Amino acid sequence: MTDTIKTENRKGFLVDTSRCIGCRSCQVACKQWNKLDADKTKNQGTFENPRDLTPALYNRIKFVEKADDKGEMSWRFLNERCMHCGDAGCMKVCPSPGALYRTKDGIVAYNRDKCISCKYCVSACPFNIPRYDQDEKVSKCHLCLDRIGGGMAPACAKACPTETLKFGSRSELIAKATAAKKTLYGVDDLNGLGVVYALEGPPEQYGLTANPSIPFSIFLWKDVIKPLGILGFWGSIGAMLLHYVTIGPKRIEEEHEEGKEAGHDQ
Amino acid sequence: MISRYIERFSTRERVLHWFVTVTFFTLLLSGLGLYSRLFTGYFNLFGNGINAILVHKIAGVLFFVSSVLLFLDNRTRVTEFDEDDREWFRQGGGYLTREDSNLAVGKFNAGQKMFAVFIGLATLILGITGMFIWAPALFPRWIVQLSLMLHGLMFVGSIMFVVVHVYLATIGNPGTLEAMLWGRVSRAWAKHHHPKWYKEVTRENQ
Repeated sequence: MTDTIKTENRKGFLVDTSRCIGCRSCQVACKQWNKLDADKTKNQGTFENPRDLTPALYNRIKFVEKADDKGEMSWRFLNERCMHCGDAGCMKVCPSPGALYRTKDGIVAYNRDKCISCKYCVSACPFNIPRYDQDEKVSKCHLCLDRIGGGMAPACAKACPTETLKFGSRSELIAKATAAKKTLYGVDDLNGLGVVYALEGPPEQYGLTANPSIPFSIFLWKDVIKPLGILGFWGSIGAMLLHYVTIGPKRIEEEHEEGKEAGHDQ
Repeated sequence: MISRYIERFSTRERVLHWFVTVTFFTLLLSGLGLYSRLFTGYFNLFGNGINAILVHKIAGVLFFVSSVLLFLDNRTRVTEFDEDDREWFRQGGGYLTREDSNLAVGKFNAGQKMFAVFIGLATLILGITGMFIWAPALFPRWIVQLSLMLHGLMFVGSIMFVVVHVYLATIGNPGTLEAMLWGRVSRAWAKHHHPKWYKEVTRENQ
């Protein structure tokens, strides 16, 4: 199963962080549409809540609170969720065909019934997004497959009051944002992210890696060791067969030895 | 009259060896589907992927314990390499020619020692990385990522060594498999393949 993606059909988000007011309507709308339970959280002295994605929280607003030299507070809000990578680490490692799959819109969707609970996707995700629920099944943002299939916007984008979350044709959204001279994140990384951000500063300030990539160990595992291993296995079988028919087995001249020994013993 | 045969492996060694073998091949069959989607059909042997993972975990624990035990039983013999072993390596164990090589070999030849040490090490690495892969949420992500890579690498090394091991212990050296099946080898076999060991045991017996 190869992961192919058609750029022209690709749908996605453009997240204009400059417009976000941190209202978290997206979080709530997602919970409501996908019928996800509330997570019990603790007040940890910040407005950010919850502090991390959970199996019942597919997207959240990350609060980046920072004081400058003069003690002026600045807030940055980042909608955190599955990025629907063009080259998706989760899909690369998933051993169960059809558990994680790509839709014709380029979305990384999943089928809980086919998930075999290996959790490889958790380790292979460049953004640390997939979570496992109490049934040991993968859970993450699936871009409201059921809604967009019916021509509607995903619940989060529908609920966003400031149009921070814009959903639509990925290439059109990028073209518009580029024309508006926005600094974009995720246009080319990992064969293009399905969630492209317009940022107001360096990605690191939002807790994003500047050049996201599939974790190096995962790349070595799947793109180097796996193919070479298969080659090595058949190579060693071939080498043994070749040895057998060229140099051949080490036979012992049993009869001869036996006769000699028998004579000696008697 | 002296028996035509001499004992090579005790009952305990043989049972342990075949226990390791069975768990190894169970791990192989249940792990292939996890190694690549190319081998997803192997999941069917266990019903589905979830069962295959369960079998892989159980067989993993059994393999780890038995393989470590097998290594510890032979730890001195397989880790001491001497000048004769170096000579064995220099001549490729005599396997590169049809001529008799007359190498001075003890109970295990240098290749067998190398195989034992590799499998011992691989068992440790596969066991430890397997534990991280078993419960990834309890460990930092980079450790689990590294473990997935090392687990695959050690598997590949092991299976390649095992192919050679099976070949040399069966059709490559007729008379060898018997040692592991019923414990005895012919004197001719012992003199030919392990002359130093042959002298050692015959001296003890007389």
